[in-house]
Amino acid sequence: MKNGLALFLGVFATLALSWAGLLLTAHKQIGSLGQFKDPADETLYPQPLSGLANQGRLVYQDLGCVSCHTQQVRQQGFGNDLAEGRKWGERGSYARDYIRDQTVLIGQNRLGPDLRNVGSRLGDAKPEEYAQWFYKLLYAPQSVAAGTNMPAHPFLFDVHPVAGRQPSAHALALPSKFAPGPGLEVVPTPRAVALVAYLQSLKDTYDYPTERSRNTPAPKEGGH
Amino acid sequence: MSANDSNFRVEQSAASDDSIQQVHARLQKQKPEKTDGYSMLPLVLLGLMCCAVFFGSIYLAHFSLRFDPLVYSEHANREKPGAVKVVALTRAQMGKKVFDTTCIACHQANGMGVPGQYPPLAASEWVTGSEERIIRIVLHGLNGPITVEGKEYNNVMAPLGSLKDDQIANVISYVRASWGNTAPEVSPETVAKVRAETAGRNTFWTAAELLKIGN
Amino acid sequence: MNPSANNRTEQLEIDASAKWPVLVFFAYGLGWLLLGGLMQVAAAMQLHTPAFLAGCEWVTHGRLTPAAQNALVYGWGMNAAFAFGLWLMARLSATTLRHGGWLFVAAKFWNTGVALGVGGILAGYSTSFELLEMPRFVSLLLLAAYALVGVWAITTFSIRNTENVYASQWYIFGAAFWFPWLYAIAQVMLFQAPVRGVLQPVVNAWYAHGLYNLWFVPVALAAAYYFLPKILGKPVANYYLASLAFWWLAVTSAFAGGSRLIGAPVPVWIPTMGIVANMLVVVGVVIVAINLFGTLSGRFEAAKSSPTLRFILLSIVSFILAAAMNLALSMRGFAATVQFTLLDGLRDWLTFYACFSTAMFGAAYFILPRLTGKEWRSTALVKLHFGATALGILLMVVGLSYAGWTQGRLLNDATVSFTALTQAMTFWFAFRTGTLGLLLIGHVAFLINFVWIACPINSQGTATATLRTPPALSLEGHA
Repeated sequence: MKNGLALFLGVFATLALSWAGLLLTAHKQIGSLGQFKDPADETLYPQPLSGLANQGRLVYQDLGCVSCHTQQVRQQGFGNDLAEGRKWGERGSYARDYIRDQTVLIGQNRLGPDLRNVGSRLGDAKPEEYAQWFYKLLYAPQSVAAGTNMPAHPFLFDVHPVAGRQPSAHALALPSKFAPGPGLEVVPTPRAVALVAYLQSLKDTYDYPTERSRNTPAPKEGGH
Repeated sequence: MSANDSNFRVEQSAASDDSIQQVHARLQKQKPEKTDGYSMLPLVLLGLMCCAVFFGSIYLAHFSLRFDPLVYSEHANREKPGAVKVVALTRAQMGKKVFDTTCIACHQANGMGVPGQYPPLAASEWVTGSEERIIRIVLHGLNGPITVEGKEYNNVMAPLGSLKDDQIANVISYVRASWGNTAPEVSPETVAKVRAETAGRNTFWTAAELLKIGN
Repeated sequence: MNPSANNRTEQLEIDASAKWPVLVFFAYGLGWLLLGGLMQVAAAMQLHTPAFLAGCEWVTHGRLTPAAQNALVYGWGMNAAFAFGLWLMARLSATTLRHGGWLFVAAKFWNTGVALGVGGILAGYSTSFELLEMPRFVSLLLLAAYALVGVWAITTFSIRNTENVYASQWYIFGAAFWFPWLYAIAQVMLFQAPVRGVLQPVVNAWYAHGLYNLWFVPVALAAAYYFLPKILGKPVANYYLASLAFWWLAVTSAFAGGSRLIGAPVPVWIPTMGIVANMLVVVGVVIVAINLFGTLSGRFEAAKSSPTLRFILLSIVSFILAAAMNLALSMRGFAATVQFTLLDGLRDWLTFYACFSTAMFGAAYFILPRLTGKEWRSTALVKLHFGATALGILLMVVGLSYAGWTQGRLLNDATVSFTALTQAMTFWFAFRTGTLGLLLIGHVAFLINFVWIACPINSQGTATATLRTPPALSLEGHA
């Protein structure tokens, strides 16, 4: 190829082709995906995050949690995300779950568990108790998950002496091994509160009927 | 050893730049036809390309699932989905949401009300009885003494005429079908008719007035 | 014609015009290589020793990992690519690099941008999108700097004195346009006018795959296509296929980004398209292998005495390995197990480090004596560099493949708790840290040699290089 212009046009065309073929068509499809109105309770799903949770999302980004945690539950039949023992969700994640998220951080590494439905894993605990669990996890991960390699985030907390003031209602109840010492209490800073609010808001509980019907595995036939 | 070493000190070129360009420009134009071994290569490559494109297109056709934007599982049903079945909810099911927002505070989730304060809706003759009465209660509210299931209540129920006709029809249908009640549902048209009939009214109803209407 | 004498003069002029810009870019690049390498080792250490640096917000794992990655990719990778690309374009266009002073400006802008970006990530302004973590404001600085470099490369090409355009020039030309378009489009679609929902990861995957396969790989291939005939004195085998390979790789690699999203909540045709593209890429890789290994066949002995050739050989083998890994990771069954594990990270590492960085090391060993007129002072350090790199690559590939497979199997086994998984992987995390440390040792060896050859004060003790005039390439050698 001698002609610089021919080379340029070819180079342009190859990228333009992939941009149009991949991104533009995907944009047409996902861009037109709307919220779904449940006919029974007349609510639109997915619901956007509350203000505090949205700030928590920024803290999540700031601390780079995405480098170890994914936020995508894989569909039935692909990997074991839904199996008992992992139970990272009731169902696989759909694109519609993310349309109200301002930054979609589905992640690429599972050095830690998937977080897409971490807000619904509280079991019998009350939300405040579950929040306490998160605070302890962030302050001293070993205190709630022995043997984990999650780094501690003590900078999200304020450790100060109790003497001379009322003990805080939000102080963490840490086991003695991880507690800062006598007369000191650990209180979450607003960043920690926002982050935990965000984590607790992560739950995709609604099961969209169209997606559910279209993603059910095909019945096993002889031909397949 | 020394040649070895000296090359590690400075890499010598074995060809000049423009000879590289000139020779390769000539090579680009002429395909080698000399040795027999080489005529195979273009054919082998062509074969490889065809295989790749063939298998690739089969894979693409099989696993793109109609380019459907709502399919995320490659194991999903490959057949074209039928027309979307409209989920037919009854009025009573739709009315639950209104009840949970508006009525539950006083009449409680179990429809039993608060003894002495708010009358129950379960097994209430006012609920399962005439449509005309209950629609009026919802539209304009109620105050003054009222006997429900043999017990006296004297409180104020706020008017809910600001709700839409079908919301009112839904919530009334809901209470008429819950907690053991089995009265038929109410339609929005009936609500609209009653609303029109009582258009001028802006005061609460009383039990005495209502008992004169309907049966 | 008597090209030899003319060539030599011209080449000296070209090399002289390129000397300072290329040296400056290389110097910056090496600085980032060391700094990024240290950060990468630290981040790797945090995986098996979570208490390491845990208390300090600036170097918490979630910030250190992307900072290290960006420092290596945009600091080392881009600077090295600029250095090599500019020099090669000048050489193959047989014209000097005019007004090189502007390239100093570009270097300053670019590296200031990267420093601000990496610092921004450590300070908590990361955007959390893979390879685009640097805060938004940095992108303008980087694009402005790139514009200078890109314009220089393209203008040098357009005023070329040669009648013919060689394969390396196509690759550099393509890369020169692909990178800014990829980067600008990604910045617009993710930050300026953010797209909706899961389209964001789709754009991110398209960008990441494009950065590795439409910028770094072409530069590495440009190096391979140039240095093989240059050092072996033999034309590239079956060269008439090279242009087919170029276009084939260009078209297919651009679509392959979707293969990073297998199993993701994106419409299933997107990963399928990526998978099909990865299958088709194989054809292009085969042609490149025919070209390059065909040239090397019978001449592997030459690699014993040529550091550049050794590194280029490593680069070519890694290119093929990376394509194979891309293909393997596109097989859904395999991906279901090893997604999100160390094996997934190996794919990009192979392309960026094992294929591209080694090609740049090889290029540096060739270019720097010509630019500075000095020879490498310590052959022991050269051998150490190569040995550490080759051994490190081998260990990483074998070790992380096995580790990733183990990790994947455990991840998908719902009966294994996450703490048990972490304990099982501790050894492999440590292994990874060790291997990265080994590679860093090789880089330090290279840096020492670089300082001795390039820095004016330090290089006074270094002997002058004697460069023989190269003969013309002959057609008879082509077999």
